[in-house]
Amino acid sequence: MKGLIVIMDILIHDLSGEEFRSMFGEAHNDVRIIADTRTIRYCTGCFNCWIKTPGKCVLKDGYSNMGELLSKSEKVTIISRCFYGSYSPFVKNVLDRSIPYLLPFFKIKNNETHHKRRYQNNIKLEVHFYGENITEKEAETAKKLVKANCINFYIKNYEISFSRSLDELRGKVNAI
Amino acid sequence: MNICILNGSPKSSKSTSELLIEYLMSFTGENETVTYNVCKSNLSEEQFSRIQSSDALVFVFPLYIDGINSQLLRFLIELEKRGFNNKSIGVYCIINNGFYEGRQNLIAADIMKNWCKAVGLTYGQTLGVGAGEMLPFLESIPLGHGPNRNLGIAIKKLSRNILSVNQGEDLFFSPNWPRFLWKIASSYNFWYPRAKGNGLKRKRLKDRAD
Repeated sequence: MKGLIVIMDILIHDLSGEEFRSMFGEAHNDVRIIADTRTIRYCTGCFNCWIKTPGKCVLKDGYSNMGELLSKSEKVTIISRCFYGSYSPFVKNVLDRSIPYLLPFFKIKNNETHHKRRYQNNIKLEVHFYGENITEKEAETAKKLVKANCINFYIKNYEISFSRSLDELRGKVNAI
Repeated sequence: MNICILNGSPKSSKSTSELLIEYLMSFTGENETVTYNVCKSNLSEEQFSRIQSSDALVFVFPLYIDGINSQLLRFLIELEKRGFNNKSIGVYCIINNGFYEGRQNLIAADIMKNWCKAVGLTYGQTLGVGAGEMLPFLESIPLGHGPNRNLGIAIKKLSRNILSVNQGEDLFFSPNWPRFLWKIASSYNFWYPRAKGNGLKRKRLKDRAD
């Protein structure tokens, strides 16, 4: 129905089905879960989500509506293994596919160019990195990365955590 | 010496990374240089061996959401799994981004440095190039001149370091072109004509899902 916007929290994670169930159980009606359950296609930088089907990715694989999903969420939680201070390939793939949330046009913020916003909703972001051997440098890079993402996605409110194991991570995530 | 250039652009059409590789190769002279696109296809065992036995690896890729695109990340993880016996390989990066400021490539460079640490290789140097989408429009202007001045100087410095497998200071820069003109041109010479080509009026570019 036009005009009725259902607000839904989002959880993007790279856990296996078993790991996820052991952490969160089974039914999750209130949270949209974006998981590595299908074969996700990678962003080819075609820009069609800006200049052909504005707001929507043209790749047909079940992950094409990230822009719209983000526009209808108040809270986004990310659970990702940390690789070299980056998100994991799956989580990064989902984020790479999220640029239709923004407009192609540029504006200057803090003397840097960034894309203008397509939507006005305010998102709260929680990023939980995990990994047995995350180095200090990698954690430092990951913090910078999340901060830069927040500037680009107009997110003012964000938190980051690092865990050595999934057991440690379990106590930190309040997504569900 | 053996130089291996790894094109980390997932773009299906000609990419800015490809153009930057052409620029770099104009400085690598008689050296044995191979280029692989590591995002679009799986490499063969022979190609992996060539990478592992190179003197210098040059990663050339676009910035995606402040970091490394997912395909290049997958490749980096694969390379880490395979490992490097030869630890004297120098690693260099040319990163371009769609924003104006080359310094916005800094985090991607940090990720590559962390990867080098993980695989035990030495990081050589970064070129962080701003306004990457503009570079193909400047292709007819010689490197080192006009708006390509900074780029020409930087690529020359980088190529010297690659050829001697030396380390150099990271260089982050934009084309020699005013930011306000670049910003106007991005809408009027890039986004609007492309939308028109798809039969879309300008205001449609701001469509929302709701």
